[in-house]
Amino acid sequence: MDTSKPAIFVNGGLLPMHVRKRVRTVVQVIGSDRGAVIGKSTDDQQLSVKGTPPSVPLTNFVEVIGIADSEKSIQAEIWTNFGDTFDTYSYNQLCQLANGECQLLFL
Amino acid sequence: MGQWVSPDAIAALLSNPKPDSLTDIPEIIVQITKLEPKGKSYGFDANDGKMKIKAIFNSRLSSEIISGNIQNLGLIRILDYTVNEIPSKSENYLIITKCEVVSPALAMEIKDEKNEELGEKKEESGIILKPKQEHEIKGEVKKESSGILLKPKQEMVAKSAAQIVNEQHRNMAPTARMAMTRRVHPLVSLNPYQGNWTIKVRVTSKGNMRAYKNARGEGCVFNVELTDEDGTQIQATMFNEAARKFYDKFQLGKVYYISKGTLRVANKQFRTVQNDYEMTLNENSEVEEASNEAAFIPETKFNFVPIDQLGPCVNSTELVDVVGIVQSVSPTMSIRRKSNNEIVPKRDITIADETRKTVVVSLWNDLATDLGQELLDLADKSPVVAIKSLKVGDFQGVSLSTLGRSIVQINPDIPESKKLRCWYDSEGKETSMASVGSGLSPSTKSGGRSMYSDRVSISHMTSNPSLGGDKPAFFSIRAYISFIKPDQSMWYRACKACNKKVTEGVGGGYWCEGCQKNDAECSLRYIMVVKVSDASGEGWVSAFNEEAEKIIGCSADELDKLKSEEEGSSYQLKLKEATWNPHLFRVSVAQNEYNNEKRQRITVRAVAPVDFAAESRFLLEDISKMKGSQ
Repeated sequence: MDTSKPAIFVNGGLLPMHVRKRVRTVVQVIGSDRGAVIGKSTDDQQLSVKGTPPSVPLTNFVEVIGIADSEKSIQAEIWTNFGDTFDTYSYNQLCQLANGECQLLFL
Repeated sequence: MGQWVSPDAIAALLSNPKPDSLTDIPEIIVQITKLEPKGKSYGFDANDGKMKIKAIFNSRLSSEIISGNIQNLGLIRILDYTVNEIPSKSENYLIITKCEVVSPALAMEIKDEKNEELGEKKEESGIILKPKQEHEIKGEVKKESSGILLKPKQEMVAKSAAQIVNEQHRNMAPTARMAMTRRVHPLVSLNPYQGNWTIKVRVTSKGNMRAYKNARGEGCVFNVELTDEDGTQIQATMFNEAARKFYDKFQLGKVYYISKGTLRVANKQFRTVQNDYEMTLNENSEVEEASNEAAFIPETKFNFVPIDQLGPCVNSTELVDVVGIVQSVSPTMSIRRKSNNEIVPKRDITIADETRKTVVVSLWNDLATDLGQELLDLADKSPVVAIKSLKVGDFQGVSLSTLGRSIVQINPDIPESKKLRCWYDSEGKETSMASVGSGLSPSTKSGGRSMYSDRVSISHMTSNPSLGGDKPAFFSIRAYISFIKPDQSMWYRACKACNKKVTEGVGGGYWCEGCQKNDAECSLRYIMVVKVSDASGEGWVSAFNEEAEKIIGCSADELDKLKSEEEGSSYQLKLKEATWNPHLFRVSVAQNEYNNEKRQRITVRAVAPVDFAAESRFLLEDISKMKGSQ
C-alpha cells in the first residue's frame, strides 16, 4: 500500500480547511458544468470536481482524490466509482472523526 | 316523544327488494330483535309487529352496534337497503346499508295482536313504549300466561317502563327472565370503570389450582381463559374462597354468563392473551352456566405480527399469531421427547409475508399429521395459512412452534388473507426472501436477538472458559472464515424425511431408525468445524447444514460431487473461495465434557452477510460509547 501521498478525508464543510492540500472525498454526481463534474458532498454541499474523469461512465457515487484548489473545488487525479448506493451518513461521521479526535490515526 | 314501527314495514321492503334511488324508499321503521354478531357484521330479525325478516347490518355499521347506538329491541329508520333471496331456502334476507337510530332499546319485542279489536295502529292511539329514562306511558300492558299482548287503550295510566318490565317478569319463566334482563356485553367493551356488565364466554383454557405462600399469608389460586363470540379473550383469576367456589364450576369448553368481576390493567410479563385488562372474580361474582350453547362458537380473532417484527418476541411468554403464504411443507418427522422418551410427530412449514421475510413454523401432534397433510396436498397452490397462539423460540434466530391451544386456518376468509394472495400473485412469487432469523436489521426497533445484540470479539469467548456452564451463552460476532480443513468428514448421511443419521441397510439402501424405514437414497447434511478469525483472535466453531451451506456456498450433495471429480481440484477451489469471507454469526457457547476435561464448544446458530452500511453505524455507535465513558 502506497502511503507516500496521504489524502485527508473531507466533506463540503471540511474542504475549506485543507485548500492546497491533498484530499479525498465521496460525492454524489448531480451534473456537469463547463467540463467539471458537479457533486453533492455527504453533508449536502455542492462541490466542483475538475480533471479528466475515467473513460468508463461514472456511477451515482464517486470517490475523488486530488488537490483542493479552492474552498469548493478539487482537482482530481484519481476517480473511483463507488456504485449506486452509499451510506453518506457513515462517511460523513468518518470525516468528522478523521479531522477531529481521531486525527492522529490518519496522518 | 315515542316512536313506533311502520305498519307493514316488512311487506313494504319485500315488495321493493332493490330500490332504485333513496327517494324511492318510504318511511320504514323496524324494531331490531335477536341482535347477534355474525362474523364481522351483526345480524338480527327485523320486526314490524306483524312480520319478521332475517336481516344483517353492513359491516360498516358494526361500530354503531358496539358503541351501543344501535341496540337490540331498539327502533331504526331504514334509509338504504337491499332484499336478497336465498334460493336454497326460499327465504329472504334484508341487508341494511344505511339507517338511523329512532329509539334505543324498548322494553320488549313489539307484537301486533291479530285481533279485529285492534283496529288501526296509529301513533296517537297505539301503545308507545319508551326507553327506560322516560316515565309516561300511554296505555297499559296486559299480562297473559302465554306471553305479552299489547292492547290499545285510551286510558292514561302512568307507569314507568321499569314498572311494566317488572310486572311482566314476575310472570315469565326463570330462564326467559334471565335471557331478557341479561344484556350481554362484548369482552372488548369491558373496562375497570364500569362494573355493571354481564359477559357470555366459553372457557378456552383452565389452569390448575396452585397453592402459594407469600408475605401476606398463603392461599390457592387458579385462572381461566375466557373467549366470547367475537373472539376476544381475557384471563380471569380467582383466589382462595372464590377459587374453591368456582374451580369445579368452570369446565373447559363450556359457556357461562359471568358478572360482577373486577378488571385491572394486565401485567404484561405474565399474560398469555391479547388483552390490556385481566379479570378477577371474587366470592360475590356470579357465574352461571349457559345451556344449549353448542352453537356458540367464538370466532377466532387474530392479532397478526408481521414476520419481520418477530425478533423482539423471541423467548417471551406472550404467544403470537401469524399469517403468511406457505412456501414449503416438510414431511412428518418423529421427534423423541427427551423428558419421557415419547415420540411426537412434527412437521415444519415455511411461511412468507409482505415484509419479504420467511419463518419456519413447527406443527406438533395432530396439526403435524392431519392439518400438515392438508397443507402438503395444497402446497403447490401456495395457500395462505393463519395460525393463532404460537410460541416464539430462538432456534435459527426466530422459530415458531404450535401448542395444544394453537388454531390453524387454511385460506381463511379474512382481509389479510386476500391481501397476501394479491401480493404473492403479483410480486411475492418472484421475490427472493430472507429468513427473519438471520441478518435482522440493527434498528433499535427490532432489538431482541439480532446480529447486533450481544456483539463480542472472538477473544471474549475463547478467553473465558466458564462461559456457557449451566446453559448456553449466546453472542453475535463478525468474523472471517480463516480455515476449512479439506480432509475432515464434513457431512453425515441423513434420512430424506427426518434428517436423522441413517445406517447402511441390510441388503442395500439406508435404514432410518427414527422413521423405521429403508430408503434407497439418502441426502448428505453438513456437520463441520471451521476456523474463524477477527481482530481479537481466532477460534474453532461447529456448523450444521443450513449454516454451513451459507459458508461454503453450496449444499453437501453438490460439494460431494465436486470432491469426486478428477483430482478434486474444484473441491479445493470451492473451499478456497469460501475462505477469508466475512460473515455475521450468531453463536452459542457451551461446555462439553471430554475425557474428564471441560471443553468449550462454539456452535454457529445463524449466518448472515455483512451489511456494511449497518455495520458502519454499529461501529460509530460503539465509538461514541467509548468516547462517552472516557
